[in-house]
Amino acid sequence: MAKSEDCIHILQGLLVFGNVVIGMCGIALTAECIYFVSDPHGLYPLLEATENDGIYAAAWIGIFVGFALFALSILGIIGIIKSDRTLLLVYIILMLITFAFEMASCITAATHRDFLTPNLFLKQMLERYQKAEPANNNDKWMTEGVTKTWDKLMLQNHCCGVLGPSDWQEYTSAFRSTHNDADFPWPRKCCAMDAQGLPVNLDGCKLGVPGYYNSNGCYDAISGPVNTHAWGVAWFGFAILCWTFCVLLGTMFYWSGIEY
Amino acid sequence: MKESGAMSSLVTDGSSKALDSTFQQTHGGQLRPYKAAAFHVPSCASPPRLVDAGDVSKVSDVLKQYLFRVGDDGTCLYDPNFLDVCNPPLAPGTTYRFKYVLVESTEGIVKDQTLWSDPIKTRRVKLPLQVDTWPGRRSGAMIVITSILSVLLFLLLAGMLAAVSSAVMRPEGPSAETRCTPQTAQPSDPRPQLGSE
Repeated sequence: MAKSEDCIHILQGLLVFGNVVIGMCGIALTAECIYFVSDPHGLYPLLEATENDGIYAAAWIGIFVGFALFALSILGIIGIIKSDRTLLLVYIILMLITFAFEMASCITAATHRDFLTPNLFLKQMLERYQKAEPANNNDKWMTEGVTKTWDKLMLQNHCCGVLGPSDWQEYTSAFRSTHNDADFPWPRKCCAMDAQGLPVNLDGCKLGVPGYYNSNGCYDAISGPVNTHAWGVAWFGFAILCWTFCVLLGTMFYWSGIEY
Repeated sequence: MKESGAMSSLVTDGSSKALDSTFQQTHGGQLRPYKAAAFHVPSCASPPRLVDAGDVSKVSDVLKQYLFRVGDDGTCLYDPNFLDVCNPPLAPGTTYRFKYVLVESTEGIVKDQTLWSDPIKTRRVKLPLQVDTWPGRRSGAMIVITSILSVLLFLLLAGMLAAVSSAVMRPEGPSAETRCTPQTAQPSDPRPQLGSE
């Protein structure tokens, strides 16, 4: 009798502990995904224009899944302490659904991260930056978003183009069709700026004198936050799911042993 | 002037008179050299030095004195009546050479000329459409996440099936004391048991 009682209490204790951890991780996941969705680096317009904003969809799913995990963990703790079959069955089924959604979020984040190569941003920058005549409102919205984001990126990170200023010279672009390449070998934002936001020396910038223009590419400034976002959602979700898997297996074993 | 073995590279006729061939007449420099622009002789009293082009405080003077852009005029080709000197953009992926000629303006006699410059090849630019945006192989992380999570979900569903089926097919009677089976807090009246008596 004592051995069975101890066994029950140990299993209950483990499952309650497991559910507490799931609840806390759920809140953490919600908070992390809200942070990513708020787009602190302002890169969402670039992803929206490439139609590759899957990592944002994954973060949105993560917000709701995190909250669901927290609510279900409370349900699970109550069900385990009361050893109620119905509550635990509801808990298991809802947890399986939540598991499936979180799995979708992790896979989406990991898969869509693979699409965000330098060439993708290069093509979009060349086609949309300062595009003169947008075709419709959607085009205009995306063009404005891309132009503003690139201007901000080049100004704040002291960079030019995706791989370097030579991007503007090796390819034709929407920018090139309205700006001749003697006055604008690269956009003005690539010049080293003073405190008022004007180029320090315009001739030096146009000629490519070192120190008067930004000679490195912006890809690192883009891929850093995007990677943090994608791996943060994918791997943290994966860790939560591994833990949830163990807790759920234990709960199913516990449930199958409950007498009527 | 484009590189070609069989064409003339002379800028003067037999009596040292400058040949003022235009862009249109020479088919963009394919037949013989064409005249791109004409300038007056500048004052050479104290000219800016070319080596100062790297010094940003002096570079604007250097540019004002020396900079001439070949291919500056994009519109003179489209006017069919324009027969004067035209300086339209150069062709991409083509090699050009340049020279300066000193001409006396009254009779057009060539007084002096520089040598032909080294060949300069213009770029051939690529279109943004040609940028290949294929992401390449799937990353290892994505494969790990997808495969492991799929396996875990499958195991969970299998475990769920096992739990439900073991609950449905459980033999009746009190639980064995060695199993880890919790008792529910039930009132004393027995509930109907599954399975037949």
